[in-house]
Amino acid sequence: MLLFIIKRILQAIPVLLLVATATFFMVRAAPGGPFDKDRSIPPEVITQLNKRYHLDDPLWKQYVDYMGNLLQGDFGPSFKYASHSVTELIAAGFPATLELSLYAILFALLVGLPAGMLAAVKWNTSLDYVPMSVAMIGICMPTFVLGPILLLVFGIWFGWLPVAGWGQVPGDKILPSITLGSVYAAYIARISRGGMLEVLSQDYIRTAKAKGLSTARIVFVHALRGGITPVISFLGPALAGLLAGSFVVESIFNIPGLGRFYVTAAFNRDYTMILGCTIFFAFLIILFNLLADIIQVWLNPKLRQELEARG
Amino acid sequence: MSEIVHIAELTNLEKGRSLTQDAFLRLRKNKMAMFGLYFLLFLILVALLTPWIAPYSYEEQNLELGASPPSARHWMGTDILGRDQLTRIMYGSRISLMVGFIATAVALTIGVLWGAIAGFFGGRTDAIMMRIVDALYALPFTIFIILLTVVFGSSMLLLFLAIGAVEWLTMARIVRGQVLSIKKQEFIEAAISMGLPPSRIIAHHLIPNVLGPVIVYTTLTIPSVILLESFLSFLGLGIQPPASSWGSLISGGVEVMEEYPWLLAFPGVVLTITLFSLNFLGDGLRDALDPKSSRD
Repeated sequence: MLLFIIKRILQAIPVLLLVATATFFMVRAAPGGPFDKDRSIPPEVITQLNKRYHLDDPLWKQYVDYMGNLLQGDFGPSFKYASHSVTELIAAGFPATLELSLYAILFALLVGLPAGMLAAVKWNTSLDYVPMSVAMIGICMPTFVLGPILLLVFGIWFGWLPVAGWGQVPGDKILPSITLGSVYAAYIARISRGGMLEVLSQDYIRTAKAKGLSTARIVFVHALRGGITPVISFLGPALAGLLAGSFVVESIFNIPGLGRFYVTAAFNRDYTMILGCTIFFAFLIILFNLLADIIQVWLNPKLRQELEARG
Repeated sequence: MSEIVHIAELTNLEKGRSLTQDAFLRLRKNKMAMFGLYFLLFLILVALLTPWIAPYSYEEQNLELGASPPSARHWMGTDILGRDQLTRIMYGSRISLMVGFIATAVALTIGVLWGAIAGFFGGRTDAIMMRIVDALYALPFTIFIILLTVVFGSSMLLLFLAIGAVEWLTMARIVRGQVLSIKKQEFIEAAISMGLPPSRIIAHHLIPNVLGPVIVYTTLTIPSVILLESFLSFLGLGIQPPASSWGSLISGGVEVMEEYPWLLAFPGVVLTITLFSLNFLGDGLRDALDPKSSRD
């Protein structure tokens, strides 16, 4: 098990290096320097700026310096906000994004898991069809349509919930979390239904039934562990989508998170910020995929034995 | 000898046809999938004919009218510049569908070839090719596409290539798995022993036999591509004005939704129904082509 974890970590490092290198050269290959747009800046100042940001160094030296700083967790200065480093900006934006993502996943699990389990237990009845149809609508309705609709209906027409901000007014975290989480609630409902259906048809469940155990005991004690494994392997990759979704949700609900910083940086062509954020996001996604893999192996005795057999 | 081959071919043909018919019959029983199919055909027809059947021209403005709710003259209302929204949604469907189909075609080509080559040659080639796929899976692609649009400016061509280059990974995995299972069968061994070149075996014997899952997954890729394009356009990083896709129409609608909710509602509903149709059609095709596979 430990060997497996170490192996996976060793596999993740070259991927991360590759992302950092590819991103670095892609951003450097961009036509025009970062200060070209500001016509008002005299050429001497541009030379000064280039010097300050080491843009006059040869490319390989910039690359080596950047990677060296990166290893120490330093993403360099932001081009647009001269007084802040990219590391500071990421540190400022990330907590809100992380909190939003956690609430969204929590909402998705709280709604999706029971719905999927109910649908599997009551397979082929209206308790199966209705939640699954709602789930299909949830999957098909994009975040950027659902968010504004929720905002309009519950925030403006009914006036029940605040429409913008994060942590300033009580209840302002509810709408963004639901908006971001609903697609995942739908996916989790479908996946957990599939997983549960498969487990419920196994022999050991029939044995449990024959022993006269209650449905609740069979579902929660015997079937749940096997049934939710596919959900866990879904959660790792889902994070990538969650981050992308947070871009939209943060701009709809005016949340000062990393996603909005990233989109703003994209508009401002703030190259160092884009570079830093991309590498940071890649790191997060690789990390969460790793965690999902480990949890999956840990939960599934078959996979664990396979690993031990291989050594 | 030749007679035996002949008979074998005949029975094979017979069986193949009945399987396809079988699949189609199963699909026709699935009401939601058929709804999806008809809606898509309708949408494609409308998109193709838009320049001739749109009620107004794309540029036509009516500043005195301004934003007006749906009426007999403008079925989906007008935007702030008095432009007919039905017309704009029709033109938007051309762009959204075009991105959906072309980017999916790019993904399809790369994915099928990659998976077929990896699966057919196996061994070291397979290991290296699939390891590359695994590594790419871990990348934050949406973020990468945003990066690309920032670096190279957003153009339609870039959107096609970037989205297509992202979506081929799952396709490659599916095709490889199928090829691995087909490779062991006699007719491939026969083809190899007859001395056919690998390119011909892949193109004529392997790929036609993995078509079922490929069709299913293609149908499911198109909606995710359309969604990705709308997402980028919503953020203002995709299709640039004066052209507009559904995503940019929704983005414009969100800005004024308090005063003119119909500018958000109509493009939102059209996009949702389209994604709904494609997903149901994909699910229906999966059930029809492979009755054994369970719906997740």
